[in-house]
Amino acid sequence: MVIKRIHMEVLVACLLALAGVAVAGGSLELGVGWTDSGPDAGYFPFYVGLLLAIAGFANAIWTVILHRGETEIFIDSEQARRLLSFLLPMTAFVIVTLLLGLYVGAALYLFYVAWRQGKYNPFWAAGLGIGFAISLFVVFDTLFKVPLLKGPLEAYLKIY
Amino acid sequence: MENFGLLMEGFQVAITPTHLAIMVIGVMLGLVVGVLPGLGAPNGVSLLIPLTFTMDPVSAIILLASMYWGALFGGSTTSILFNIPGEPSSVATTFDGYPMAQKGQSTRALTLAFMSAGIGALVGVVVITLLSTWAAGFALRFGAPEYFSVYFLAFCAFIGMGSSAPLKTIISLLVGLALSTVGMDTITGTLRLTYGLNELMGGVSFLVVVIGLFGIGEILMTVQDGLHFRGVASRIDLRDVFRTIAELPRYWATLLRSSAIGVWMGITPGGPTAASFMSYGVARQWSRPGEPFGKGRPEGIVAPETADHSAGTCAMLPMLALGVPSSATAAVMMGGLMIWGLTPGPMLFATKPDFVWGLIASMYISNIVAVVLVMATVPLFAALLRIPFAVIGPVIVAICFVGAYTVSNATFDLWLVLLFGVIGYVFSKLSYPLAPLVLAMVLGHKAENSFHQSMILSDGSLDVFWSNPLVGSIMTLALLLVIVPQVVKLIGRLRSRGTLRSVH
Repeated sequence: MVIKRIHMEVLVACLLALAGVAVAGGSLELGVGWTDSGPDAGYFPFYVGLLLAIAGFANAIWTVILHRGETEIFIDSEQARRLLSFLLPMTAFVIVTLLLGLYVGAALYLFYVAWRQGKYNPFWAAGLGIGFAISLFVVFDTLFKVPLLKGPLEAYLKIY
Repeated sequence: MENFGLLMEGFQVAITPTHLAIMVIGVMLGLVVGVLPGLGAPNGVSLLIPLTFTMDPVSAIILLASMYWGALFGGSTTSILFNIPGEPSSVATTFDGYPMAQKGQSTRALTLAFMSAGIGALVGVVVITLLSTWAAGFALRFGAPEYFSVYFLAFCAFIGMGSSAPLKTIISLLVGLALSTVGMDTITGTLRLTYGLNELMGGVSFLVVVIGLFGIGEILMTVQDGLHFRGVASRIDLRDVFRTIAELPRYWATLLRSSAIGVWMGITPGGPTAASFMSYGVARQWSRPGEPFGKGRPEGIVAPETADHSAGTCAMLPMLALGVPSSATAAVMMGGLMIWGLTPGPMLFATKPDFVWGLIASMYISNIVAVVLVMATVPLFAALLRIPFAVIGPVIVAICFVGAYTVSNATFDLWLVLLFGVIGYVFSKLSYPLAPLVLAMVLGHKAENSFHQSMILSDGSLDVFWSNPLVGSIMTLALLLVIVPQVVKLIGRLRSRGTLRSVH
């Protein structure tokens, strides 16, 4: 799987333009005109969105005109594989964190990556994850009094 | 000499045991952040801001500023020893720094880099000391239209002077402005662009966006290429250090030129990255014939480092005096100031002189602290980079998410970090600049408010931006900054057609 840069350029420019359309559209509902107390709430975002839409489409067209047929690669399969093997555990980390809290999420994430991708001994990896979670707790909850997201485990252990 | 007296008072604020300790901690954290790929100065400062909510603002800004200096120094260490720029602004240092280190002169390369960086930073602080009162006094004459014109100037300067394609810079700015309008509108009190999502009512925090774009985005860039640390020996030999310091006066011309470039690019929103590249280019053109550049020529290290640091420090001047940051990190710090309840801008000099001058004085001290610390800790941080990526990668990721969560204790922000991480990766790969996005997010509200007020003043006519010589000349300058480089480029492009990669 190889994605060419030119395709990605056009795609991203179009997506940004669509975002501009969405911003302008969302502002239209707020009123983009002029009231007794000055511009309406949607006035500023409407024009920002409009300009974004124009700039995005202009960039897409510009790219096609100037660089059509160029073969520079955006990402090759090897890079995509590396990227996914990093992104997927990271996404899983977010989901686990939402369910079980940041401490457990971070510990499991470190454990998994060190064990599966770093080829460490699972016990060593688990120690690493737990050690990291504990140091997070010491720095944030204890030293700076900034509580992090907690889950069922902390509730069970009565740590608040 | 009024400034000198104020500076002395500033030193009294800055030289206390607590503040000195804070500087050391800040510089050390900055070095860590600068050394590790994926953690950069803007991102590091963002991660630290939630922890400063309870601190006294003077201590907090000293901590953040020291971290910034540390990060600038840390970035050079990895550039030279590993050929991996820890910061975007130290890319130009790899051109000659790494080859020199490969030749077995790593101490010489590091000393050259740190000493010239220190000199650049000191020049920057001296400029700030001399100009800040004047700039703030100048800004006191500003009304709403003038403020809008200054923000406009900042945006235009990014478009005209940045190294990316103008259209992409414009898009990046507009995305930032659009993001800044999400949530409760401060003027009319209506909810905007939340699309029915309750989580968006409070708006999108720029800190979360910075952590995603710069933190996760940068680490994804690192991951895709696989990580190869081919470090060179990192032992520091004290005799070499002194020999190199003695060698430094020989490069006085490069030092002067690069400081001037850095000061200019720092005050105008060119930023440290552009400054270091420009300075490298100028040094290559203007230096006396000798060893070729790119093979370990000393001027090739001195030039980008001096400019990088003088730009980095000078970026604080427009932030403090006008409330217009000229680099991504300064933008994040300014956001921090606003969170602590301070309004950056000319009034800050009148109402909080101890804050402003304490910060400026601390910049002298912490840059010297940074030079000493960075020399002493090179082996330590070189060892840090030898930790396998399977360990350090997830640690960086986890810290980014933890930092984003602490901004407002919202789980929704975790998804935003992930989203902006992917956006940051795609933007970097397609060379969309990220700094304008951050600047626009931080300035968005202020720009909108001043635009709003100007429009009320003039009853909706854009003529208000040319209603007096001051605002008129700023607006005209802003437009010229955009138009002139395009015309120059157009003429150049008529002669030769570039490829996607060569169009900057």
